[in-house]
This record gives sequence, C-alpha cells and structure tokens, in this order.
Amino acid sequence: MAALPTRRLECKDLHGYLKSLPTSVLDKLYNHPATCLAVFRDLPELARHYVMRLLFVEQPVAQAVVNQWISPGAEEASQVTSALSSLRVWHTQPLTGTMSGWILNPVFRENMKTALLGGGQPWAGGAPMTADKHARDIPFLDKYALERWECVLHFMVGSSEGSDGVNRDITDVLVNSGLMAKEEGEALPSITQEGFQFLLMDTASQVWYFLLQYLDTVQSRGLDLVSCLAFLFQLSFSTLGKDYSTEGMSESQLRFLQHLREFGLVYQRKRKSQRYYPTRLAINIASGLKSTSTDAHRPGFILVETNYHSPLQVALLALFCDLLYRFPNMLVANITRDSIRAALARGITAEQILNYLRSHAHPDMLHKTPVIPPTITDQVRLWELERARITFTDGVLYNQFLSQADFEMLRNYAKEMDVLVWELPEKRVMVVTKEGHDDVKRFWKRQRQT
Amino acid sequence: MGGNKKEKREEKKQKRARVEEEEFEYEEDDDFVEPGEVSQEVPAAALRDCDKEEAAKTDEFGAQDYRKTLELKPDHTSRPLWIAPNGHIFLESFSPVYRHAHDFLIAISEPVCRPEHIHEYKLTAYSLYAAVSVGLQTGDIIEYLRRLSKTSLPDGIIEFIKLCTLSYGKVKLVLKHNCYFVESQFPEVLQKLLKDPAIQASRKRQEGEEESADGFITGELSGKSALQLKKAANGKEGESQPGTSAEDAQNGEEKKEEVPEDIFNYYEKMDREEEDEEEEGALKTVSFEINQENVEDVQKRCIELEYPLLAEYDFRNDTVNPDINIDLKPSTVLRPYQEKSLRKMFGNGRARSGVIVLPCGAGKTLVGVTAACTVRKRCICLATSGVAVEQWRSQFKMWSTIDDSLICRFTSDAKDKPMGCAVCISTYSMLAHTTKRSYEAEKMMEWMQNQEWGLMVLDEVQTIPAKMFRRVLTIVNAHCKLGLTATLVREDDKIADLNFLIGPKLYEANWMELQNHGYIARVQCAEVWCPMTPEFYREYLTTKSQKKLLLYAMNPNKFRACQFLIRYHERRNDKIIVFSDNVFALQHYAVTLNKPYLYGPTTQGERLQILQNFQHNPKVNTIFVSKVADTSFDLPEANVLIQISAHGGSRRQEAQRLGRILRAKKGSAAEEYNAYFYSLVSQDTVEMAYSLKRQRFLINQGYSYKVITRLDGMDEEDLLYRTKEEQMQLLQKVLAATDKDAEEERALGEGGKALVQRKTGTMSSMSGADDTIYMEYRKKQVHPLFKKFKKT
Amino acid sequence: MVNVLKGVLVECDPAMKQLLLHLDETNEFGRKFVIQDLDETHLFISADIVETLQDRIDDLMDRLSFPLAEK
Repeated sequence: MAALPTRRLECKDLHGYLKSLPTSVLDKLYNHPATCLAVFRDLPELARHYVMRLLFVEQPVAQAVVNQWISPGAEEASQVTSALSSLRVWHTQPLTGTMSGWILNPVFRENMKTALLGGGQPWAGGAPMTADKHARDIPFLDKYALERWECVLHFMVGSSEGSDGVNRDITDVLVNSGLMAKEEGEALPSITQEGFQFLLMDTASQVWYFLLQYLDTVQSRGLDLVSCLAFLFQLSFSTLGKDYSTEGMSESQLRFLQHLREFGLVYQRKRKSQRYYPTRLAINIASGLKSTSTDAHRPGFILVETNYHSPLQVALLALFCDLLYRFPNMLVANITRDSIRAALARGITAEQILNYLRSHAHPDMLHKTPVIPPTITDQVRLWELERARITFTDGVLYNQFLSQADFEMLRNYAKEMDVLVWELPEKRVMVVTKEGHDDVKRFWKRQRQT
Repeated sequence: MGGNKKEKREEKKQKRARVEEEEFEYEEDDDFVEPGEVSQEVPAAALRDCDKEEAAKTDEFGAQDYRKTLELKPDHTSRPLWIAPNGHIFLESFSPVYRHAHDFLIAISEPVCRPEHIHEYKLTAYSLYAAVSVGLQTGDIIEYLRRLSKTSLPDGIIEFIKLCTLSYGKVKLVLKHNCYFVESQFPEVLQKLLKDPAIQASRKRQEGEEESADGFITGELSGKSALQLKKAANGKEGESQPGTSAEDAQNGEEKKEEVPEDIFNYYEKMDREEEDEEEEGALKTVSFEINQENVEDVQKRCIELEYPLLAEYDFRNDTVNPDINIDLKPSTVLRPYQEKSLRKMFGNGRARSGVIVLPCGAGKTLVGVTAACTVRKRCICLATSGVAVEQWRSQFKMWSTIDDSLICRFTSDAKDKPMGCAVCISTYSMLAHTTKRSYEAEKMMEWMQNQEWGLMVLDEVQTIPAKMFRRVLTIVNAHCKLGLTATLVREDDKIADLNFLIGPKLYEANWMELQNHGYIARVQCAEVWCPMTPEFYREYLTTKSQKKLLLYAMNPNKFRACQFLIRYHERRNDKIIVFSDNVFALQHYAVTLNKPYLYGPTTQGERLQILQNFQHNPKVNTIFVSKVADTSFDLPEANVLIQISAHGGSRRQEAQRLGRILRAKKGSAAEEYNAYFYSLVSQDTVEMAYSLKRQRFLINQGYSYKVITRLDGMDEEDLLYRTKEEQMQLLQKVLAATDKDAEEERALGEGGKALVQRKTGTMSSMSGADDTIYMEYRKKQVHPLFKKFKKT
Repeated sequence: MVNVLKGVLVECDPAMKQLLLHLDETNEFGRKFVIQDLDETHLFISADIVETLQDRIDDLMDRLSFPLAEK
C-alpha cells in the first residue's frame, strides 16, 4: 500500500554527458575532428553561431563585443555562454584592465577546422581497398541491428525467445546501470523499475542510454575512454550500407568494436574480419539524442483491444496484461486489476503503461481522441491511486510536552533541521525522522541544561 | 363502526391485490449450474462446451498458443475473423467485411463483448441450435466461417459445429388444423425417431390419409415469409439495417473490391436464401401425426434422442381458430432491426417460437404487436406488472387497428369481460399464483385455460422465475410463443429453460449500434464513489447484521452526492428517477428531499398519478422509486437515473434500470450524451464489489462506466449533512432502525405521499477541498461534472 | 518533560483510518499495534506490524474489487 518512491530514469543528453567528464578527458577528446563536429552539431543554434564567428579569430574577443552580437536582454545568451564554457569549447582570457574576452579552446578550434575544411589524418575506419565478397545491404543491416538490440531487450524482460547470445558484457552493463538487479540466489538478474522505464523509451534513446552506462565501465575494462568515444563519434558520421576497414585501429578500439558488435551497432561477419558495417543504431547515436523521437520506421501496433506479435512486445505486454490467446498474427490480452497491480508493484507507473499503450496503438485506434478510451485510462490510474491511500513513514513521536513553549521550541528546531515529519500543535505532538531524532534529542538536552 | 369495517375490507382487498401482483424477486444470476443439475428439457449435446473440448498448449506467459496449429492465410488482411479452438471468435469491427461477418455471427454465436474495435463472440451449443432453427445448414455454417477466417479453421470447431447442428433443427412439431404433426425434410430422421417405442406409441394413424411408401404424410413447405409489411414506409429495404452506416453505404462500391470474392458470393447467397426463399420453391416435407395428449412425452423423448423438436405454427392453414380483426395501422413504421427480428420469426411462412432480444427502450412492444398482427389469431400477452399491462394495452391501441372492446385485461385491478376478446393481457403472477382466487378470477382462469391461443407473447421473459414460468406454460395453451427480453444473461441456467421451453434466440440486437443510429438514447454511465464518513464506516466494520446494507445506503456522503446530482440536473431541466431497493433509504431520501416516491405498497392509482405528474407537471422533476419500477415502467421523459441502493450484484437489474432512460431523446443531437446513469457507491464497502459485478452485462454490450471520485462543484453547494452533528444524528437514526428496515423492499403500511417538509441546511461549502487536476478527454462537449478527476 | 516513542507514522483517509483502528481493536493480528491515534488522518503504529498490515489491506481491497464469482 505504501507509495514506493518512484525513481525516474534520467537519460543525459550528449551535452550532459560530456559535461560530466573530467576536463582532461574533454581536452583529449577534442583531438579528434569527429568529436568536435559531433559536439558542434549538438550545440544550441546561437552557440553554433558564436563558434563560427570565433573559429578563425586567434585572439580573445572582448565579452562586451560578443554580447553585442545579439539583441540585449536575450535570455539565451547566458545559457549559451555557460554551455560553451562547461564544454570547454571556449574560455575566458583577461584583456586589458578589467576587461576579459572569449577565446576558443585551441585544440577544439584546430580540429573543428579540420572537420569542416578537410585535411588531417584520415578518420579511423577508412574504406577498405577491395570490395566485400559478402557485401551487406541496408535492409539486411537494419534487420540485423534490430534483432541484436531486441536480444538485449528480450533478456531484460526475461523472455526465453531469442535472448540467447546476451553475454557477460551486456549483462554487466545492465546490472551496473541498475536496469536489472540480481537477487540473492537467482542465476539471472531480473528487470528493475528503471529497466521498465528503459524499455518504454524509443530505440535511439535506449541505445544512447545503454552506451552511456557502458562508457562508465570502459575504463574498468582496461579500455581508453577517449579513443572509444572518438571512435563512436566517427561511427556516427559514417554511411549506412558502406563497409569500413579495421586497419589502423588501436587495440582498445578493436575491443570496443567487438562490444559494439554485440550490441548491434556494427555488423562484422566474423570476429577477425577486417571490415565492418556500421548499423543505423550507431549512425543514429549523434542524430537522435536530444529529443526522444518515435520510431518512424515501425508501424503502429494494435493494442488494448487487439494485436501484435513481436515476441518482445508480447513480453512487454505480459508485464501489465494477462495474456489469453495467441493467434499467428494476433494476441488477446486483458488488462486486469491484478495484472496492473503486479506491474505497479514492480515500480512501473500508470503513466508509463498508458504511454506505452498510446505509442503502440493500432492505426485504427489512432483516429480516436483520446487514443486510449478514458475509462481505461481512469481505471489504470485509479488502481495506482489505490496503492497510495496509505503512506508509512518511519519516525519518532514526541508527545507529553509540559508547555506549549517547549513544544514550539523543539518543533522549530526540528523544522529548521528539516527533520520534522508531522506536527499537531493543539495536542503538542510531533513526529521527526528517524535520522533526525538523535540531533533533536541532543538539542532538547542542551536546552534543558541551560 | 361501518367506516372502520369498510376500511378493513379495503385493506384486505389491497392485501390480496398485493399477493396476486407481487413483483418478482430477481433470481440470483450468479449461480452456475452443474451439468448434472440441468433440467431434462435440455438435450445432452447442448451441454457441451467446446471450451473443454480442446486444451491448447500454453506459451511462456500462460496464453493459449494457437500459432502452431492455425495457419495464417496469405490474404488474411481482407478477412475479419480469428477463430480460437475453444469457440471464441474475434471480429475486426473496422474490416470492410464487417457487415458480412456480423450478421452471420449474430445468427450462429453468442456475443460476448462488443466494444469499439474488436468484438468477441462465442460458439455455444445454444447459439448453434438457434442458427439451425432459423434455417442455417451445417455445411453453410462451416463453409462461411472458413471463408471469413484469417486462419485455417480449427478441426475441433468443425467437429463441434457438426455435433451441435446435425441433429438440431431437423424435426419440427407443427400444429396444423388443430392436430399435432412431427415434420421433417428428412424421412430417415423420422424413421429413426419412430424406432423409439414411446414415440411409436404416440403416433396417430388416420384412415384415408394420403400416405407415402413409408407411411408418412407428404407435404410442402412454403418458402415465403409470412411477414407482410408495407414496404413503402420502410424505404429501401435492407439498406438501412443497423450496421450499415450511411458512410458504409456511400463507400459500398469501393469497399466491395476489398471484400474477397468468396466471402461476397457466399454472403449474397445466404442473404438471398434468407430474404426471399420463394425463389427456391417449396420444400418437400414428410410428417406423421401424434396424439395431442402425448405431445409432451414426444417432446421429451426427442430431446433424449438428441432431436429436439422446433415448434412452428402454420397459422395460415389453421382453419379451426378464427382470425381476429387486427392489423398494423398504416402509419405504423417498423425500424429496420424490428423488422429484421420479425423476419427471423416468420421466415418460412409459419411462426417460429423463440426469443427476440432487444435493448430496453428499443421498441420491444411494437415487435410483439406486429407479431400479433401477423398471426391474426387469438393472442395472450403476459407482462410483469399491472402498470406494464396498461402500457401494453395502450401500445396495442397506438400501433394497431384493434378495437378497444377486443382487448381484455386480467389484473387484480382490471378484469375486463373476456367473452369475444381477441387480445388478452395479464401478468405472470396473476396466472401462476396458487392461492385462492375470487370467483370472478376463477372463472376467468377457466376461460383462459380452455382457449386455444394462436400467439403467446412473453414480456421481460428473463425476469420470470423458472418455476412460475413452467406453471404459466402448462396453464395456457398457445401454438406459438414469442419471448421478449432485453437482458439475456448468458451465464445462468435460464438460457437452457428459454431455449427449450420457448425456443431458440431468434434475434439479438447490438446496443451500441442502435445507440449510434439514434434508436436509443446515448447514455453516459458513471459510478460515483462516495467515501464512507468515519463514523458510518466504523459502524459498518463492527456491525454483523443486515444493517451493513443500511449503513452504506445511508452514508451521508452518498446522500450529499445524490442531493447534488438532483439539483444539478433539475437546473438543466432534466427529468430524474432515483432508484433505491432499500425502502428505509428510499423513504428517508425522498422525504428529506421532499420528493414523491412510490414502492410496493403504493396503490395502482397512486402509482399512475405519480407517474403522470412526473410526465406532465413541470414542478415534479424528480421521483424516487423502489425496484417495482425496474421493468416496464415506461417513462419516456426520464433522462437521468440515480441509483442509491440496488439488489446485490444483479447484472440484469442494472440493465433493466438503464432501460428506464434508454428511450430515444428528441432534439438533443448536439450533445454527446443525452441521458445519464449514475450509480452511487459507498467506497470500501461490499457495494464496490457488487457494483463491478452489476456492470458486467452492460460493459459487454459496449457501455463503459466512468468512475467519478469527486463531483465537481459539490463543495460550492449548500447540501445537507455537512456537519458532524447532522451526520451523527443520521447515524443514530440508522442505528435505531430495525434489522427489517435494512432489508430490501417489503410491504410496509401506507406509502406514496411525501409531505414532510425538507429540513433546510444552513451550511455553506464543505471544507478541505482536494487537489484536482483537469483531464479533458474529448474536444466535443463534455459533461461538466466529468471535467475534474481526483488525483490524490 | 517530553515523551519519545519510536514507530511509524501512518497517513491515510478517514475511512481507511477507521479500518486500521478496527483491525487494532479486534486484535486481528493477535495484538495491538496502534501506539497513538493522532487525528482524523494520522496514526502512530508499531514498526514491526507494517508488512502484515499492508498484506491484510491489500487482501481486503482485493475482495472489494473483485466480484465474488468472477470466473
């Protein structure tokens, strides 16, 4: 009955991720033109404008001047300035007197120029010299990528169908990131609250989130984060359906490539193969990050009253529905109080369920406004509310104060310390948190002595 | 003290009236019958359930997995059905072939649930029995299903259909020239039956009859429908059927191309067979006569032999019973679904016995009247109450040309002279009750028993207890029986009784379709959650007795919700009926709110007076009624229904009540809904569970209940029982009530007048408003009450 | 003077509170668990009963939410 604190899955965008990296790593990253271009592409429009203006200026430009480029009082200005600073794309440099100016990070500037104007070292994974005897076309790569990726998702929902081929690396990432958790005595980890939220994201966001989690672990795997990131950004600029050579890749990058292969971001016929094909999952990394877009290449699927047959969708539906019948191309499922409550107990929220239903509804349902019948929406929400009817809070109750003044003094102190849970001045009763109790008790004793 | 004596006599008379005309208790409809207990009127095959026939493999999630056993056809997208081996059928309502499949499924299966996108049906032994009895053949059923299905047809289903249909519908019991014949198109079946010694013994041989080699009487069966309607009034016949929206008709040409040819051809063929069988010519039949006194034995034997007899009445060739002078008025126009249902009844030139299922308010009475005008033989109508009898009478006069003198009412209040009457209208309890009758009534009963009735119309046939029902059928002798009902609850054993006591279901309308076509009102159903006040809930928890019921019916928050809704709708000039099964609550609510009420003890005269006031007096916009008004009270003006106490989990009662406001409303096309049904439920009490159960029937018809946890605007209203003191006084009143008060309706002294002044509440608004969030669901007009939704 | 008690603060709607008090008074769990009745929507109870209590309330809600003969 107690409302579980719902943990929201936070998916950082590229900007957020880069900001979280140590400055030394950031500086190193900008040694690769691809990274610079990727970062540039991700900047707000105004920031891109600043960068372009400053790109060929070797001197710092007075801040006052920069401020004049835009109409005064524009709200974006401060956001853009801090964004550029936090990404170490530019920094301040003192000018004469109290004036200071902006100057682009020299490493960033040089490599950005290279990215835009060409030249420099060829990016890793240049085109191989010979044509591939086993050339793969785009439909093949798409199918391959989706299958690989769905393996991961299948594994998460505990579906037995097609989840083989999920190895330790993937399992580790899933467990480390908290998307899955291993219970004592269980051979396989099971999905967590965050994991379900993860499943409800669109594919591009899923891949990006997963990669972020993975990147957190690369150093502990003995890989070089910078070269991995650089490779990843280069991948995002490659062409779908084209093969690339592994020549010139560092040991670290080759191992990284194997991981990407497991996730379905690249296709490599054999482990030792000298060439690889990036898939749409990799190419979409840098392009589909900021806003969560819906999967345009997939048709909508009938739901709530009707059908769908992908084993993964079935497994997902089974998280909050009772499945009744499976026809070759249709699934019949009931949403029941029990099935929803089971989902709620896993930390899945009513809103997540409804969002999922909405975004996967059959085209025939999409004609309706709202897509999901209101009674169903209401019912699912009511079942959620029902669980929140009682809340339990651990705490310590203080009562039998001799005077109102005593009560108020202690109450005020608890309030100040932010440990007061509840109070009833008329009855001189208050509850403080368990954690705050010792502190409040000490305060009381001190007061009594004086 | 003559006056006193007179009063006593009056009282006595009233008491008797009550006995004779007691309203029926709803039978609990949640008891499932064990196969062994089913009455012997049911053939064994009818008890089969294909659910149990086939146990499919289940997948990892526990779903029945048919993926391996059923093969998807390459052109599955243009076919509308999935058929599960357990008899469940799923129909895509957006398929271009929807109409083709829908008519067919209604004929052969039971609708389970018909929401918006996908409809679920189920093949049952009864539904197949009904299918063959209206003329469908085993082979046709299988073949058309095969064509409509997206996948291969499960073998078990084919077996099941054969099993249930091969022997059904083959043999008929026909009354011709006042003699009973067992008739069939299949001589071998008759031979088989005659091998049975009991049937052999019942056979009646007559000298001089023209006989064929095997001794059977040969004959011909007309293929022409006996239903003669004025086609002109109906416009293009068959084009305006429910299920054929105007849009459909427009797109008809383009859509035809999406319909696979095999489906189209077959549909055309079946349609033709049904519509104008005359082209096929007359069918050859063979028959043998049986002795009248053995009819029942033969019926029973035939059931045991798995050849249940279908009852048909060849009224055109009935020269013994005189025709009566009754026709539909030229101005009477039938709606397409009414006509369709009657066509099922009169399809082959005779009158088939059976049940027609139409929603309340959809014009069941007109169907009954038209049937009477078609048969044109002496007709008896049985209704559930005296008020209903009056309504039947006025409907006969409204739709048909019958002369008033030809209608005879037989109720405790009205006993018209039966001599020379053509249409007799009475109640089930009048006929069935076993206590001593007045001399007058006794004579009347005798007369009725001695008549040979052409048609018996059984109104609200599902509400009648089986025992009473059987009694009625043994008392009155009718050639053809037509059952009318709105609520065929499929789970109970009634369906078995109806199937074999009256006949198969001939037609069942889709509520949502009728609603979409404007034939019945568009009702917003809402379940209003009323939190129990702490004091009432405390008592509720500790009370063991019947009084629990009283506590949740009298919950101050429920009272306030009721008062608020009445005010809200009276301001909109709506007409409101409030239902309470519990008389204590009924009286308290009505008296406190100063509204008229009627219940069991209210006399017939008073009832009619209250109802007339409600209809015509602009000052009387709300009435309180007990369950006596569940059925047959025709209140066309009412468009709001509030239910404060109900009979447990009765799904049928819920549907009957909804029916009180279903009659189509005029001039309100702009609004999304034009009628409102509120069920007030005390939270955290057993009422919640009952409520869920009650709703199931209507939900399966496609209705959806909106849960309202907070009535928007209630805090601003000056309502009663706002303070703790008032609430405590009410609680004291409830606690002082007896256990008997807590029971549902029972006779309780005089009633009918509510003259007590309403207490005026001085309280302003209720404190502690909850946080609410707005949830706009539709761009169209939204009922303002539903705008807010309690979130915390 | 002040008195200090360890336990769990329960916040709920008034009807639910009545249910908790009822369970306490009727010794449903073999013992009392309400330490103090605070106001219409608050109770202070022993910490070790919370799990049992949650299960029981879930159970009661189930019974109210499911028709007896849902087959």
